[in-house]
Amino acid sequence: MIDPLVILFGLASIQGLTLLTSALTLSSPLILAALGGLCSERSGVVNIGLEGKMLGAACAAGIVGQLSGNPVLAVLAGIGVGTALSLLHALLTQTFRMDHIISGMGINALAVGGTSLIAKTLSNQLSGRMASFPIFIYWVAAWTAVVGIWWYLKSTRGGLRLNAVGNDPDKARQMGVNPVHVRLFALLWTGIFCGLGGTLIVTNAGSFSDEMTAGRGYIALAALILGGWRPIPTLLACLAFGFFEAINLQMQGQSFFGQTIPREFWQSLPYLVTLVALAGFLGKNKPPSGLGRP
Amino acid sequence: MSAESVVDLSGIVQKFGRVTALDGVALTVRKQTIHALVGENGAGKTTLMKVLYGALKPTEGKVIVEGQERHFTKPQDALAAGIGMVSQHYSIIGELTCLENLMLGAEPGWTIPFANARTKATELATQMGFSFDWDALAEGIGPAQAQKLEILKLLWRGARIMILDEPTAMLSPTDADLLFAKLHELADSGTTIIVVTHRLPEVMDHCDDVTVLRGGKLIASKPVSETNPEELTEMIVGHSVDIPAPTPATPGAVILGVSGLTVKGERGDDAVKNVSFELRGGELTGLAGVDGNGQRELFQAILGLLPFSGSVALDGVDLTKKSTKDRLVAGIRLIAEDRHHEAVIEDWSIELNGVLGLHHTEPIRRGMLVSANARKEIGEAVTNRFPTKFDRVGQRFGDLSGGNQQKVVTARAFQQNPRLILAFQPTRGIDIHVSALVFQALKEQARAGSAVLLVSFDIDEILEHCDRVLVINHGEINEPPEHLRGDRQAIGRLMVGAE
Repeated sequence: MIDPLVILFGLASIQGLTLLTSALTLSSPLILAALGGLCSERSGVVNIGLEGKMLGAACAAGIVGQLSGNPVLAVLAGIGVGTALSLLHALLTQTFRMDHIISGMGINALAVGGTSLIAKTLSNQLSGRMASFPIFIYWVAAWTAVVGIWWYLKSTRGGLRLNAVGNDPDKARQMGVNPVHVRLFALLWTGIFCGLGGTLIVTNAGSFSDEMTAGRGYIALAALILGGWRPIPTLLACLAFGFFEAINLQMQGQSFFGQTIPREFWQSLPYLVTLVALAGFLGKNKPPSGLGRP
Repeated sequence: MSAESVVDLSGIVQKFGRVTALDGVALTVRKQTIHALVGENGAGKTTLMKVLYGALKPTEGKVIVEGQERHFTKPQDALAAGIGMVSQHYSIIGELTCLENLMLGAEPGWTIPFANARTKATELATQMGFSFDWDALAEGIGPAQAQKLEILKLLWRGARIMILDEPTAMLSPTDADLLFAKLHELADSGTTIIVVTHRLPEVMDHCDDVTVLRGGKLIASKPVSETNPEELTEMIVGHSVDIPAPTPATPGAVILGVSGLTVKGERGDDAVKNVSFELRGGELTGLAGVDGNGQRELFQAILGLLPFSGSVALDGVDLTKKSTKDRLVAGIRLIAEDRHHEAVIEDWSIELNGVLGLHHTEPIRRGMLVSANARKEIGEAVTNRFPTKFDRVGQRFGDLSGGNQQKVVTARAFQQNPRLILAFQPTRGIDIHVSALVFQALKEQARAGSAVLLVSFDIDEILEHCDRVLVINHGEINEPPEHLRGDRQAIGRLMVGAE
């Protein structure tokens, strides 16, 4: 007699490696987007527009990658559009003092409509896989950035000022720190990270399709909150979400003890986990005190 | 002490629109002295200092610092020229460590050599006789420590001329004396200090020179040794203030009974610790204490704004489980500490703010409605009680000046037959004449049978106006023994728990 559980564990160990690589692949765009969110929110700018920035970047990188066949141009296009949208957020929230949430939502809406329009307009000129760098490079970029930001926050003048502005822009101003400059610099990096995140998503798929970021910007935001706006815990939260998404891919269609668990359950798992985790942790992690303040 | 002047302001005129805040003021500060700048609220002290440290550009006039004419456009310019200011509202960010606060804006380089900076900071602190846990978050430090940190921040930036705005407002008498002792040491070692204050004993005991401003004009500037408190008072006020002789209190029935009250503070520790006391009608009771010792939480618990254990009764009726609304209707009134956040809605009219919180009391409340007549009546009453400058009761509350806002908020507490008035620094930002009226009104309300509890950080204010004194320290309330009731030092010791 072979216990069905043994079979299950056996299967799991064979699949373990694929599960791991799959989790790493799926968490990388989350890590990049969450770091983008971290730069922005630690400086006091609420950023629910991560999704839109990634989507814009994915569209730009995909199209340029297909048209030019040059991976460098594709990445630059992704970073360029991510940065442009992020600086638009800076302009709206800092110069025009618009509500941060409204500006973020506007950018998301702009990205959904804009990318769809551009992709449709160019659809008959686009074919084949986009030119791209190997996925591995993005992993390295994401993990290096986590360590880099952790070090930056801990040991540099810029990190100290970012922290000060994010917690109390008025007092920081009194100490001769210009909150607008600090936030502009932070949002520049938000754009770069979201740009890389979006480029990675389109690289994984091979070409752009409408709304292909599929809410990853929001999950990244959730991971940021779960990680208490700190780089290393945020990385761990992203890995956890990536892991559940990997489980989703592996488990779909598999049956347990003759019972088929509907694939909708596995698909909704990462989101369910987000919901439960947020409900459990929200309020325990303290956001930067200056979040949303002009 | 040298006669060489380091600061020379002359003919300073500062206009805000049509209002002239400073009218041809001059100020000369000698090197290595402690110079007092005194005057009522609105006399122009802070405005003059803002001109000196670059926060305001004067409409007219000359600023000469260490022999050089200067045109500062921002505080950083002034700081570069060696002038720094510790304002009344500290610019310390609680979420950063003390060391980070010390360096913010003046970091040693692109990357921060923390170990190095810590050594340097400790050296600086040791020179001044201060000690800091540099890696602790600044949110935990008390007002005295925060003040020291602000002074170190200026030293870190190499300030040679230091402006301190009401430096002892938040300090216990002991800490205030210590502070001045340090200021003397600083002055001896080459720093020049300007102290903006309204406390004459400080001027007489600790300062070398004094300058008096009134209504934006220079009244006098002379060495402290050539003047006396009486002369200074007269110069500050312009004419003598008549305060009616106090009538002795006749304590009546118990109005407020608090027993075993414990309230959790923001940080989860007990801000008020198992406190029991009674307040009687007819008496104005002062609650002396250093800021942040549980006064806020005590008031909020009595009004039902914070959860607490223990019991609160008004006129013998247990209110422990009652809502804030019921407590207001029962006659508890709060003159809140933070006017903007706790007392008013700035976008509403004066009239609406006048009934805010009283809207459940008859006859303002008429069924589900608010009576327009009663509202109008109250609106007029709150503006007439103390001389308030306003256009019309329908005016936006936030457009009143700070002092006038405070007058309305204070006046509101007297409406609709209060049984108990909880007054948290009710005269903050109000000039000396109206302050006297406010204390008079509180006392009259007490004499008419209500209980009044006054929180003040100023012992002299409490000794001058109150019939009875309670002292709060770390959430515990003590009453000084009979023979020490009027003893400033004894109360001061209770305030810091030295007794």
